Amino acid sequence: MSTFTTTEPPTWVKAAMLAHLPLMMPQLLWTLAGRWSVEEIWHGLGAGTLRADDLYTEDGRAVLTAGHRAAWAAGIRATDPGRLQQQYEEASVRVLYLGGPGYPEKLAADHQPPVVLFMRGALAALDAPRVVAIVGTRKATAYGRQVARRFGAELASEGVCVISGLALGIDGAAHTGALEVNATTPVIGVVGTGLDVVYPARHSHLWRAVADHGALLSESPLGACGQPYRFPLRNRIIAALADVVVVVESGAVGGSMITATLANDRERPVLAVPGPILAESSAGTNSLLSLCTAQICTGMLDIRAALGLATAGRGLTFIDPRPAPDATDSHVLAALAWDVLTTEAVMARTGSTLAGATMALVRLESSGWVGRGAAGWYRVAMMGER
Amino acid sequence: MIASVSAATLLGVDGQAVVVEVHVSAGLPMFTVVGLPDAACRESRDRVRAALLSSGLGWPLKRITVNLAPADIRKGGSSLDLPIAVGVLVANGELPASRVEGMAFLGELGLDGTVRRIPGVVPLVDALTAREVVVPAPCEHDARAVGKGVVHSVRTLRELVEALEGLSPWPASSAPPDQRCSVRHVPDLADVRGQESARFALQVAAAGGHHLLLAGPPGAGKTMLAQRLPGLMPDLGRHHALEVLRVLSAAGLSHGDGPPRRPPFRAPHHSSSMVALIGGGSLAMRPGELSLAHRGVLFLDELGEFPPGVLDSLRQPLEEGVVRVARARGAVTLPARFQLVAATNPCPCGWARSHDAGFRLPDEPSCSCTEALRYRYARRLSGPLLDRIDLRLEVRRPDVDSLLGPPGRSTADVRDSVATARLRAVERGFDTNAAMAAGELDRWARLTPGALSLVDGLLRRGSITARGLDRIRRVARTIADLAGDGLAEPLGDEPVCMALELRRSVAIEAEVS
Repeated sequence: MSTFTTTEPPTWVKAAMLAHLPLMMPQLLWTLAGRWSVEEIWHGLGAGTLRADDLYTEDGRAVLTAGHRAAWAAGIRATDPGRLQQQYEEASVRVLYLGGPGYPEKLAADHQPPVVLFMRGALAALDAPRVVAIVGTRKATAYGRQVARRFGAELASEGVCVISGLALGIDGAAHTGALEVNATTPVIGVVGTGLDVVYPARHSHLWRAVADHGALLSESPLGACGQPYRFPLRNRIIAALADVVVVVESGAVGGSMITATLANDRERPVLAVPGPILAESSAGTNSLLSLCTAQICTGMLDIRAALGLATAGRGLTFIDPRPAPDATDSHVLAALAWDVLTTEAVMARTGSTLAGATMALVRLESSGWVGRGAAGWYRVAMMGER
Repeated sequence: MIASVSAATLLGVDGQAVVVEVHVSAGLPMFTVVGLPDAACRESRDRVRAALLSSGLGWPLKRITVNLAPADIRKGGSSLDLPIAVGVLVANGELPASRVEGMAFLGELGLDGTVRRIPGVVPLVDALTAREVVVPAPCEHDARAVGKGVVHSVRTLRELVEALEGLSPWPASSAPPDQRCSVRHVPDLADVRGQESARFALQVAAAGGHHLLLAGPPGAGKTMLAQRLPGLMPDLGRHHALEVLRVLSAAGLSHGDGPPRRPPFRAPHHSSSMVALIGGGSLAMRPGELSLAHRGVLFLDELGEFPPGVLDSLRQPLEEGVVRVARARGAVTLPARFQLVAATNPCPCGWARSHDAGFRLPDEPSCSCTEALRYRYARRLSGPLLDRIDLRLEVRRPDVDSLLGPPGRSTADVRDSVATARLRAVERGFDTNAAMAAGELDRWARLTPGALSLVDGLLRRGSITARGLDRIRRVARTIADLAGDGLAEPLGDEPVCMALELRRSVAIEAEVS
């Protein structure tokens, strides 16, 4: 074509152009990539010579329809490769593509590989020998957040790379834990939006931290908003990159249940953390366990076993620095158990006065034994305590 | 002939002395008013003429010019009717000028010569320097409360002229109103069952003047609790009562019974406009709801439904105790040292709850709001506004046991301990502990070593902030005062812990993951 005269753009720019094409869903792209290379697809679509009437996606949609071919040819003609290249270089986003240099082997072996992968951070993070996904609901309880944070910290300190989706709730807590132990282990975050569209906005600090201490990945090009279809697709990348998937808390339906299914499809071990049988936030994990689609996860021991690591001895041995509570406070701590209670409920359980219960709880809070959330008081677990 | 009479006009809650000059000269019969009168003031021409004629007094068929000095401030309202009438009488030679010397007049005239009630008697009288002031009879007790000059009250223009001419004595003043009858019926605190923290919070709010936020689902009793706060507050002192009367009077809401005994309680609806709440308006810069709640309680029910602009405008009054309203014609400062009591649902539908809150009760509906909607709702309330509220409480529906249980302390009982605690703040030189100057905290609100180590742990864990600690010390001071501790006795574990409890995070604060 006469429009691509002078010099041809590098392959990674061509790959980015493919991701930017209108109507180009990831499913269509990986179906095309099953038959042709990125270079072939780009040239073929641009020149309008790519034809195959027998090419269908897994869910039975024709890929190279006349409409698609016209839209894509127009899309490639309308894009200025130089400007696109500059845009990605300025955003310091690296573009990986199927068959290209640095593309992770685990994804190349997948049956639904992301043909184009946008990355911010260090490429080395993708070569981590052991990767564990910690996923779960956005509507996490204090229990779930504590468990996720603790697993994140313990895995990072053992040199295991934590991968998650950077969503609110469990995902965020897992990465917070992994980043706060300050180990040199890299972390991986896989997001559904373009790397310049921080979603949820509350996690902007976490996005930066993950990119600084590992790799932030997305299949969506710069500027892509969080359309609902992008998130289940994002979950398949997490499932494919992980060696083990741990579901900490999940409702009966939701993204983490999809991740569990996708991980099972890929024969990755799925672990689920059990929760109270009446809690909505544990309905999904409990059902994974009762249907035997997941193994039980009660601590690092189970994760280590699933990774095929030695189950004995190693791991965090923290010495609990918290001063032991006195008799009164111990009584209150025991009454609180692992529930989340209001001060009134603690009063009812201990039979103490408002002042008595409050003083004991504040003393415990001050020494780090309990925390206070929107719903009330909860016991804080010590990391490494088992 | 020329006459000049003292009077005053109202701007905001302040009066400004005005001299009414009347000039009567030969010429075509004419009556003009100059000196920036507003519409109500210009119309006084017709009222004054009719009132003089109905009272059997003469109306000069001459050229009459009325000048309201100083000429550069706008005069509003009908309070200048009476001074204009007196001025005309003097200028026309019907009254000797010596009779009105050192006197000031305030009042609206009816066509039949009656002297009617006017808004703002208290600030107007306060602005005058005359030895004697004549006011309408319905405003008599308000005018006397100012304590300036000799106050005469008249019912009709005829009565005034006769008294000025010395034909009859000044009308006797009516009996002072019986203040005991004016105590409103207030709902009793004993009606509230259960809710121990909330009842304690009300007591602390009343004793320390701390702002209070109640959050919880519909039916938890937020409004019921808030309505019981005014009853717990002590009677207004003489000085504060006069401030309240001044605002009431300026707003035209005084019943003429003199200074009120009980603190005001204002509960504007969330659809109220910004001007209705803050004050202002194009005419007299009328005080708004915030000022009407001065020295009393401003209750904002459904706080989350108020427009964001209105919520932002609460910040200055919460900080400084005044509202500054600036308009093209000038700026006024209105008093607004109120105690804020706010109630809110945790989300627009009211049923949001933390994911932690355990199992749902069988009759409890689930929240139908989206996560983003809840976050936006919470964000509107949090931040700067929430920072200024000392007591934040989550109210839940009481359980059956406490509903059927014995009643708690009654309003009268609690009011006594509140009054005692308030005296302590006054002994320290502040109206309330909430108003204690930050620099004085180290003198009056020191912590015992035990309490200090508790606070140290919380600060290190990030459970409280430095600003939060500042507020917690004030609340703890109030709790210690209620317990009868010494004036500057260091704050122990108990008051500090209880203060923390009463400031605990409420469900509307967005959860961080």
